[in-house]
Amino acid sequence: MSTPDSHSGVPQGKILVLATESCAYPGADSVGQAHSSYPANVHILRVKAPVLFPERFYLDCLEKGIGGIIIMSCGEECPYEGAYKAMARRLDRIYERMKERGLDIRRVRLTAICTVCNRAFLNEVNQMEQVLQELGATAAA
Amino acid sequence: MAELEKTTPLPAGNQAEPQANGSRTDGSQTDEPRVGVYICYCGGNISDHVDVEAVRERMENVPGVAVARTNMFMCSDPGQELIMEDLRSGTINRVVVASCAPSLHETTFRAAIARAGGNPYQYEHANIREQVSWVHHGDPATDKATRMVAAATGKARLLRPLEPIRVDALRRAVVVGGGVAGLRAALDLAERGIEVALVEKSAFLGGGVARLGRLAPTGEDAAGLVADLAGRVLAHPAIVVHAGATVTSFGGYVGNFKMEISPAPAGDPATGPAAASAQAQETGAPGRLADLAPGDYAPGRGVAAPLLASGPLALETGVVVLATGFADYQPRSGEYGFAEHPEVVTLPRLLRELAARDGQTGNVLLLDGRPIRRVGIIHCVGSRQIPGVHQEDENGHLNEHCSRVCCSAAINAANTIRESWPDTHVYEFYRDIRTYGRGQEEQYARASANKVVFLRFSAEEPPVVRRGTEADGFPLVLGVKDELTFGEDLDVPVDLVALATGMEPGPIPELVDMLKLPVGADRFLLEVHPKLRPVELPVAGVFLAGTCQAPMDAGETCNAASAAAVKAVSLLGRGFVELDPFVAEVNAEACTGCGACVEACLNEGALALEEVETDGATATRARVTPALCLGCGACAAVCPEQAIDVNGWTLAQYEAMVEMIVSDAPFASCGTCASRAGCGAGAETAPGA
Repeated sequence: MSTPDSHSGVPQGKILVLATESCAYPGADSVGQAHSSYPANVHILRVKAPVLFPERFYLDCLEKGIGGIIIMSCGEECPYEGAYKAMARRLDRIYERMKERGLDIRRVRLTAICTVCNRAFLNEVNQMEQVLQELGATAAA
Repeated sequence: MAELEKTTPLPAGNQAEPQANGSRTDGSQTDEPRVGVYICYCGGNISDHVDVEAVRERMENVPGVAVARTNMFMCSDPGQELIMEDLRSGTINRVVVASCAPSLHETTFRAAIARAGGNPYQYEHANIREQVSWVHHGDPATDKATRMVAAATGKARLLRPLEPIRVDALRRAVVVGGGVAGLRAALDLAERGIEVALVEKSAFLGGGVARLGRLAPTGEDAAGLVADLAGRVLAHPAIVVHAGATVTSFGGYVGNFKMEISPAPAGDPATGPAAASAQAQETGAPGRLADLAPGDYAPGRGVAAPLLASGPLALETGVVVLATGFADYQPRSGEYGFAEHPEVVTLPRLLRELAARDGQTGNVLLLDGRPIRRVGIIHCVGSRQIPGVHQEDENGHLNEHCSRVCCSAAINAANTIRESWPDTHVYEFYRDIRTYGRGQEEQYARASANKVVFLRFSAEEPPVVRRGTEADGFPLVLGVKDELTFGEDLDVPVDLVALATGMEPGPIPELVDMLKLPVGADRFLLEVHPKLRPVELPVAGVFLAGTCQAPMDAGETCNAASAAAVKAVSLLGRGFVELDPFVAEVNAEACTGCGACVEACLNEGALALEEVETDGATATRARVTPALCLGCGACAAVCPEQAIDVNGWTLAQYEAMVEMIVSDAPFASCGTCASRAGCGAGAETAPGA
């Protein structure tokens, strides 16, 4: 089997974006509407609220071969009152468990992206690309 | 297009069993997943950058895929028919469409599935336009599209049939705004048996149209239109009007919104009674607001309406129609001499003066006792502003949009003047003439016949207004570099300059915040889609009517308002609304009643522990109240037994998507030709239906 994604210009490693359906996901669509390019190793999943995912989900993703995860939430604009704070608390526990396993916590990042935050979206994605370049394409590597 | 509708029927052995992901099996023997994958070219929007046929062929390597097809426009009737035929024939029982953003067509395809007898929730959308073809190019785009479609397929295999949550809907509507749009919508709603509360911030009904005279292009009397609509609204038994009121709180959901309204602040210079009184004096109406009874017409203001005496008043409603209207652009001090020379006025002001002289004729138009021998009308004031050329307002805004109505309004005014006062000459200073609608071009031609003089300027070199000298014989001189005479510098001495000011969205920041309304780059309210859902907002049950959405003339405003009313009526017609069933569900067999989910729940009352009888013993189990559940999933993350999940968005489904994103299975080489893209050998490739 040949190796896909080995095209020049596509960074190695896969970035998973968990984008909230009311803010960050339409924000990513807005980046598309502006035809602003970003690396093709970024894969976006639509979520209602990232508070759905337990700590183990993130660790499993990294184990499966995802190199970095950006949780793009609604921040203070979250339609589910209290969800963002609960998410922030969970992130602390995710980091604790990552450290226990010797994983660099920069591979998981929580941020807030609005429906028209094109520049912020591109900035977050590019920063995670740099993290993967520095730390390696996958956490397992 | 036929050659672009291709199909890959896949061998039965490809249809693997669903994975049991520990928590719950999402399929059953009788519901073995057979996923149909439908990939859209989007007329080149996708296929110019993604090799759509390669993606289709790669889907043969993906477990659970029964058929993969492509179409030039999957949202078209023939495209939807492909899906429906496969469902009806039993070829598939789950659908993945790979196309544009789900916000545009998710509902389209869910509806198609339902029409074919399938379950609309056994559907997953892969966004390969906004998030692939518009941001990536070439092979990387095709590879990413492959992974995203495979991921959607991974989720689709685990989707169970769901039923929407049915909630009783109040057959009531609140219309916010008492201009022509609000009046038209209120009447249409009431005449279909919906109880309407009409909330208007000012003391008058009629809105922006009440400030005008004869309407372009038909010459219809604005005052008559407003008086007719407002009279019917005030007399209608199903409509209650609350004027002088603002919305102060908003909550609930479609079918069951809760709104509070309170008396508008008395000191508000735009809406308060003091302003109404001053305006009434200016326009010759009774001097005090108290002198006006509901139904009385005040020129330039509209029809007096019953005021909300005290508040807050709670309103419960099934739908909300927003008809908050527009504001006239206010020229900056010094813009074309405005506020510096008293002879410079806005076109709306000139229209009011003409309305006050309706039916009068003479040799020359008199304003304030002053003969107007020549009037210059400058177009595009506060419209079509260009960054770097025009000055931003104090909030940094530019009106880059065309206000659409001003060309016709200006030309209509010119014709009225020329035909009523033949010794008053009119000079139109324009950038482009946009008399776009029915009857408008005829007005333009009539202006030529009336010897209206047109002079064309560029945005970079607008006309300059200066004080005239005695030699000029006129109080003002308009200097312009006229493009129609190939850049000749012309001076036009005039008695009056009228600025054809554009339309801006009404100032409604509180409503935008309270209702979480989407606002476009032009600051008007933004519909879901200009053609597919032109009067709807993303918030279900909230509709747009009239110029809060975009500049429109009175006729277009009534069209939009009636459209909003019809949409609202059709939503309320059944007496109930259906909400997406994406709420938490407890697997009672796995639940141990530990209460972690209840503690994590973010909406009080949505989750509770209850005693249940199982096998003759009493046990504690968690129970969800679907109408209160927000579907956020905070409960799912903390359950130690993985016994609670959000329907349609389960953890197992996300895990399956991640597995497909990291999997290279779709890229497996073809055994026949070693092509990585998949040549189709071994799977029959046939033209589509």
